[in-house]
Amino acid sequence: MSHPVTATETTTEETPSVTSATRYKIKSGLILTRPPLLTREPTPFEAAFYLYQKRLNERLAVPFRREFYFRTDTAADLDWRLKLRERHGVPAKDIGRYNPRGRVAWNDEVLVGSETGMTADIVESLLKDAEVRISEDGEEIVDDERVPVERPMPRRTEADEKGDARRLDRALDQTLYLVVKKGEGEAATWQFPAGDVPTQEVLHETAARVLAESAGVNMNTWVVGRVPVAHYVTEPIFAEGEDAATAPKRRGEKIFFLKGRIMAGQADLTGNKHGLTDYQWLTKDEIKRVLPWDYYRSVRNMMADR
Amino acid sequence: MFFALSNLRGLASRLFSRPALLPTTTTTITTRPFTTTLPSMASKPAAKPPSKKAAAGAAKSKASRRVAERDPKIVNMLQHFAALSPRRIPAPLRMGRNRHLRHWTIHRAWLLFRRRARKERERTLMRQQQSMSAACEELRLTEGPGTRDMGYLYRVAMEKKGVYGLHGVPIEYARAQTDTPARVPWNHEWKA
Repeated sequence: MSHPVTATETTTEETPSVTSATRYKIKSGLILTRPPLLTREPTPFEAAFYLYQKRLNERLAVPFRREFYFRTDTAADLDWRLKLRERHGVPAKDIGRYNPRGRVAWNDEVLVGSETGMTADIVESLLKDAEVRISEDGEEIVDDERVPVERPMPRRTEADEKGDARRLDRALDQTLYLVVKKGEGEAATWQFPAGDVPTQEVLHETAARVLAESAGVNMNTWVVGRVPVAHYVTEPIFAEGEDAATAPKRRGEKIFFLKGRIMAGQADLTGNKHGLTDYQWLTKDEIKRVLPWDYYRSVRNMMADR
Repeated sequence: MFFALSNLRGLASRLFSRPALLPTTTTTITTRPFTTTLPSMASKPAAKPPSKKAAAGAAKSKASRRVAERDPKIVNMLQHFAALSPRRIPAPLRMGRNRHLRHWTIHRAWLLFRRRARKERERTLMRQQQSMSAACEELRLTEGPGTRDMGYLYRVAMEKKGVYGLHGVPIEYARAQTDTPARVPWNHEWKA
């Protein structure tokens, strides 16, 4: 591409005296993502199917033998018997009231609107089962004196409820992407952190440097590989009467995005060198409303489903 | 297979009743309570049995002592094995015609669900691969930065330095997804 430019050729119009290096600025950006921390919610169909399979399995499995697992008349045994009685004799904790061996073993359907087998129902029944109901002396513990079981944290956090898009502990079952706001007022645009690639640097070095310069060093990040995952090209703008052989009025941009992961920490824009005024951690759906359309279109293919 | 099953059948009851059924001479077998070898198939000692009267007396005292000494834990475990015997485990599922049709429908719906999920996953991966591929092609045809020749950045991007080995992937990356978050879902205070 880079033809040897002789003195005679420079005078002619046909010679490509301007290489693409002068027409395009090369930039390297980093799409910093926080991977999902939670599994996805099972769909209602999945939950119903798992319940169906568990009940079928009850019909095929060997009956539960209490004597094998609990020594008779110990506290643990009494506790188990008490809870078993409350579950109407069903040893499994997550299948609701179903007897696989009686005359109505065929009746394994739950009624319409029943919550049996849904995640919340299973969690509740397991928590109820985890509570110790019999003291070491074999006496039943009254309601007030039982030690409550430590409950798991809710899947929706405080930041979710407040809609605080700067926190990282929100939308825990989805990927979050770091977007920064460049400029002030009307001219401000949201984008991924990006910066020019100098001659002595390559993409991944620039990406790491730009991230440190713009969002601070207090983030435990990892740039996943050196291969760009997306790119965004702005064409150069030429003045009236000029063509592609001459230097453009405004150079185009080629932004190559690398993918990064954040493991801990938080962005901090104080003293950044790129004129950034704000940042957000957004999900795939939210980012669509914030980024300019053609910018979003060029990066949307690198995004995962959730 | 048939022989194996027939040998296992009633294993525990055989083991239970062994002291009473055992011939007085097979003392070597009684020391191994968990054997599956039938007494008739076990190797016979070469020595001849002692006289009838002495044998009867010895057998009675030994058998009673063995029953008395049997550990309740072993008894419990043997009873458990009895529950697991092929005679006791439930029969394979039998369904009426309508029940089976319903089961078949549920099964097909599950397969459809799985196929959709798989296709969706494949589409996503293909999308991401295409995005990378297009970016790499653009990079390959790019000159620069500065005085670098065409494809320089591409060649560097294709290098696999630091990918393999002990520190190729940070250890924090091995965190598995959970159903519920931790007490502190995210460490915002992390400092470099």
